[in-house]
Amino acid sequence: MTNATFQVSQVTKRYGVGSTEVTAVRNVSLSVAPGEVVLIMGPSGSGKTTLLLMLGALLKPTTGSIQLNGTVLSALAENRLPDIRLREFGFIFQDFNLLSALTVLENVAIVAELAGLKSRAARQKAAAILTDLGLGERLNFLPEKLSGGEKQRVAIARALVNDPALILADEPTANLDSKIGHEVMRLLRRIAKEQQRSVVIVSHDQRIKDIADRVLWLEDGQFKEVTTMAIDPVCGMSVEQEKAISTEWDGRTFYFCAKGCRDEFMTKPQR
Amino acid sequence: MWRLAFRNLFQNKVRLIISVGGVALALLLSLSLDAILEGIQRQVTTYIDQSGADIFVAQAGVRNMHMASSWLPASMVGKVRGVPGVESVTPILYVTNVIEASDNAPYMALNLAYIIGLPPNATAGGPPRIAEGVSIPAKGEAIIDRAVAAKSGVVLGDKIKILGEELTLAGLSESMTTFTGSIAFISKKDFDRIRGETGAVSFILVKVELGESPAEVARRIENQVDKVTAEPRTGFAAQERKVVQDMSTDIVTIMNLIGFVIGLAVMALTVYTATLARRKEYGVLKALGARSAHLYRAVLAQALISVGVGFALSLLITLILSASVPYLGVSLSLQINGASLIRVGGLSIVIAGLSAMLPIKQIAGLDPALVFRGK
Ligand SMILES: Nc1ncnc2c1ncn2[C@@H]1O[C@H](COP(=O)(O)OP(=O)(O)O)[C@@H](O)[C@H]1O
Ligand SMILES: [Mg+2]
Repeated sequence: MTNATFQVSQVTKRYGVGSTEVTAVRNVSLSVAPGEVVLIMGPSGSGKTTLLLMLGALLKPTTGSIQLNGTVLSALAENRLPDIRLREFGFIFQDFNLLSALTVLENVAIVAELAGLKSRAARQKAAAILTDLGLGERLNFLPEKLSGGEKQRVAIARALVNDPALILADEPTANLDSKIGHEVMRLLRRIAKEQQRSVVIVSHDQRIKDIADRVLWLEDGQFKEVTTMAIDPVCGMSVEQEKAISTEWDGRTFYFCAKGCRDEFMTKPQR
Repeated sequence: MWRLAFRNLFQNKVRLIISVGGVALALLLSLSLDAILEGIQRQVTTYIDQSGADIFVAQAGVRNMHMASSWLPASMVGKVRGVPGVESVTPILYVTNVIEASDNAPYMALNLAYIIGLPPNATAGGPPRIAEGVSIPAKGEAIIDRAVAAKSGVVLGDKIKILGEELTLAGLSESMTTFTGSIAFISKKDFDRIRGETGAVSFILVKVELGESPAEVARRIENQVDKVTAEPRTGFAAQERKVVQDMSTDIVTIMNLIGFVIGLAVMALTVYTATLARRKEYGVLKALGARSAHLYRAVLAQALISVGVGFALSLLITLILSASVPYLGVSLSLQINGASLIRVGGLSIVIAGLSAMLPIKQIAGLDPALVFRGK
């Protein structure tokens, strides 16, 4: 369990200087609560990867600040950042980026070892996480023997192994077919909720919108309109608050995917 | 990081074979040459070690046999005999020559040998073990090594030529071959006659009385007899080895240098290309939070493992060579010694360390952000 609050304030990133200067991200602010899944969408070239790199302490913002648990990451010395990445962040990539010579288990364990765990403990922890993600039968496989969905689940396990506060994923479904991609993202959501980890996904995949608590739209390096997601209490689906059917009960607002769900809810609202 | 190094290495078998094989061959150069020279150094003292003498008395300044010549007037023999602590003296004549087995084609039968002229009452300096025949040659007789006789196709009673003189083969000795050749014994009388009746001797082999120290008696001999050098057997043998060592130092240095350069070139190239090939994976590790130092360690571990395996392989080949050389009919003996292992092992570590330095810059310059751009 972690109680991280991740706070991004007025972050801008400019590449190059003079006539070649590109402002990839401008004045973006964002905060992510523990257990919250945020999806940042936007067209290609809108600055998604740039933003993610800054969130992940891989790129220094030109201006603005990024805070994790009160620590201003954007002000830290360069040589402190690897440790922050190792312990506070989990990364998931578009093309999985597993180490081809290592087995599934070793791919996860090596990251725990980097964080200081002894080999045995690292392997035990890795095995437990992988088993939880349904890869118990694949521990000694090489990545090349896995399907895309399995590879991305290994990557999720690797992202989780050091108990990070925040998981950052860049186009995690781009190399998966839509059904598998959706499944993997649902798995990620389940973990975020169970373990109260924050997740920021950057993607232009419309089909995974429903797994997010909040969808942000990035265009020309800026957030345009904010879509807040809510969970249908009846069928469990994720719905956009602005577009959903809603009802008030006991001082709270509930959102539904369809009229049917609301009607069912109203028959037994105290559940 | 060791596991990663291992896995990375063994994933690309071709590269592994090239790097390990290359290093092994390069190190083999040093290791086997060391072993050959060590073998020569041990062989070169065969005669001295087995002579049974406690002290070798030679012309002043002469401290070994190989490539040396020592001449002492016959009168010295009695003087040395008179030194307190001396039990017996055996004057011998010595020269390097060839054994010609006259039955065979001359080119076949040319055998380089130390020729020892032995007096009939020798108490030292004779063949230590006799396979067949006499143990001290009488006038007109010769004793040669059994292996040389077998090679030349001569048996007891056959005629052979030593110092140009035809002699009858009267005895066969056991295991008296050395790298330079074998050891043959003829009578001191024949030797002296062939050399022109000079009456001089080459060395005086001394046995000391029970309880006397060879070093102490040798000192006494040098004090009481003019113009001689007296060395206890062990010191004399050490000098003999040193002569070989001195002759081979430059060769060893050059070979070690060549082995080192080849090994380094092979390793540097394979470590560099191996790192280049895994650029992206190292970038991923960096993105995940690995420090450059972690990655250097993996690269260094990779180099150390390759070189370590290469070293073990070269050692194995040297051992196989040394075990099989006696069956090849070569009078060569390969002896691996600790100093050589330490030196070549040290060389290997330097090779691994240097070759791992090349990719350091490459790793340091890796931008982990590029991983997110599919690079
Ligand atoms: N290293 C860089 N140097 C200069 N311009 C860059 C660099 N990286 C990205 N850009 C530019 O910044 C903008 C945003 O890129 P990016 O963050 O990759 O967007 P997205 O991930 O949404 O496709 C693009 O116009 C891109 O060309
Ligand atoms: Mg992108």
